[in-house]
Amino acid sequence: MLKKTRAVRTVKSTAFYAFLIIAAFIYFIPLFFMLFTSLKSPAELFSADATLFSFPKKIMWENFPQAWQAGKLYIYMKNSALITIIRVPITLVIVSLSAYALTRLQFKPANLVFLIFLIGMMMPLQIFLVPLMIMIKKAKLFNTYWAVIVPYIALDIPLGVLVFRGFFRTIPLELDSSAKIDGCNSFMIYSRIIMPLSKPAIATMTILFSLNTWNEFLLASLFIPKDKIRTLPLGLLSYVGEWTTDYPRFMAAVLMSIIPVFVVYLFFQRYFVQGLTGTLKE
Amino acid sequence: MTSSTNKKLFDPVKIEPWLYLSPAILLYALILFYPVIQSIVLSFYKWDGMSAFKEFTGFNNYRILFFKDPVFWISLKNNTIFMVTFLLVTNSVCLALALILNRPFSGRVVFRGIFYFPYVISMIAVALIWGWMYHPQLGLINELLRAVGLESLGRTWLGDLKTAFASVIVTASWKAIGIGMVFFLSGLQTLPVSPYESAKLDGANAIQSFFYLTIPFLRETFVIVITLTVISSFKVFDVVYAMTWGGPMRATNVLATWMYFQSFRNHNAGSGTAIATLLVIIMCAIAIPYIMLMSRRSVSSQ
Repeated sequence: MLKKTRAVRTVKSTAFYAFLIIAAFIYFIPLFFMLFTSLKSPAELFSADATLFSFPKKIMWENFPQAWQAGKLYIYMKNSALITIIRVPITLVIVSLSAYALTRLQFKPANLVFLIFLIGMMMPLQIFLVPLMIMIKKAKLFNTYWAVIVPYIALDIPLGVLVFRGFFRTIPLELDSSAKIDGCNSFMIYSRIIMPLSKPAIATMTILFSLNTWNEFLLASLFIPKDKIRTLPLGLLSYVGEWTTDYPRFMAAVLMSIIPVFVVYLFFQRYFVQGLTGTLKE
Repeated sequence: MTSSTNKKLFDPVKIEPWLYLSPAILLYALILFYPVIQSIVLSFYKWDGMSAFKEFTGFNNYRILFFKDPVFWISLKNNTIFMVTFLLVTNSVCLALALILNRPFSGRVVFRGIFYFPYVISMIAVALIWGWMYHPQLGLINELLRAVGLESLGRTWLGDLKTAFASVIVTASWKAIGIGMVFFLSGLQTLPVSPYESAKLDGANAIQSFFYLTIPFLRETFVIVITLTVISSFKVFDVVYAMTWGGPMRATNVLATWMYFQSFRNHNAGSGTAIATLLVIIMCAIAIPYIMLMSRRSVSSQ
């Protein structure tokens, strides 16, 4: 009797895992298709006998360096990385200072200011585009990195303030008052006590802001269309039409654009999830 | 006397928070607040987006949108189709997946990670991969149909009026499943255990306890997911832009792409800003009750 239930349980759990593995495999088919395409030669792709969803007969590793060179991926990656490196720390400082004022200083209209920040989060990008274009051209920033850096910082203020405000409220206020007794001013409390305690929030927001920057398309397509300054999504999209006969190298380029995100995701997965649901946990 | 009023006006304790807030407030005002106002103002002008000459035409841009612009109505319809599909189909898949991955078994973190991963890829890369899947001659989808003998169903997915927008929705859903799953998972983790135990004792089966316990307990999660789905359905842009460019025959446009094309391709910034203003009105109608709810919650938890 006991043996039988154990057997039933084993069958059940094997079926459960089999179901999950098949589901995950089906879900990842587009990514496998990209991977296999990127490793084939164009000749193999076009040949009649080879099925498309098959492992390449001869692995063409050289597609990757070729796509890297011909697709000018090194330029686009450098641009995306540079913009990310400049804008993430600035955003972190700006939003954490604001969240500090909203949670830790005597500030009566704190809730009102916070509400106004929140409304910015719901706005569709489209409402900013035309006036921003005019401003950026007037300020002679068109086709410079700053044309996207400044809007990226501004657009992430609402989310950043929301998350940091939520985190700062979990830090006990007694720390501030005892630091004040020890002679700390408000900026020292911010920089020496609150920020060092906020490493989880800083890590989460670093990941999230970097991801937003790496993947952003619309503003970049409008404000930095020049080939030398383009970011990665923009560079990838510019292959369409140019590379339609060379899908292996095209998919190799797409794959390489995902690799940095994939590596960071592998190591810091929990911060991705925290960052994206952080607004909910509030 | 004067010195004491001065002291009150420039009380350092009162000014201090403003100093900390000033960079954010300045940027917010300049990059977010001012453009919203300017967009709304521009929507009352006839303007090509470049020349120095603007002509005030009152509500004319809106009148043209409502009565003379079929693409505006197509776009609105597409946003609605997108929203309804996401609400009913995509979110159901997310919930089912969350229920499965909420069960205790070893390796569930790995599976969660797998289903979540596409969400972190850029929409442009996803659109390009799926564009290749839909390729009429070499794409995987037509190939699979051929393999199972349904060759007649094969088509130019993104070029066919009947399937183009549906293909876009499938792509967007594929990418979004992970985030919906995570929202439902975090909702499921707050469920109390004891009602389930007593329901089981009373002889309730799994389906009954799902409908009578899980669904009511997840009410707050549903509010959040539904609100965010509606908002993101009206914000959708990248996937349409990269996969179909609004075609064939402008039939796959959504409000965000039509705004973009009107403003930056068709030299009709007046109409573009009018569409953007309408988008804001739609968004506010949905979002303001939600924000009120959220801020009330965070105030009461203070």
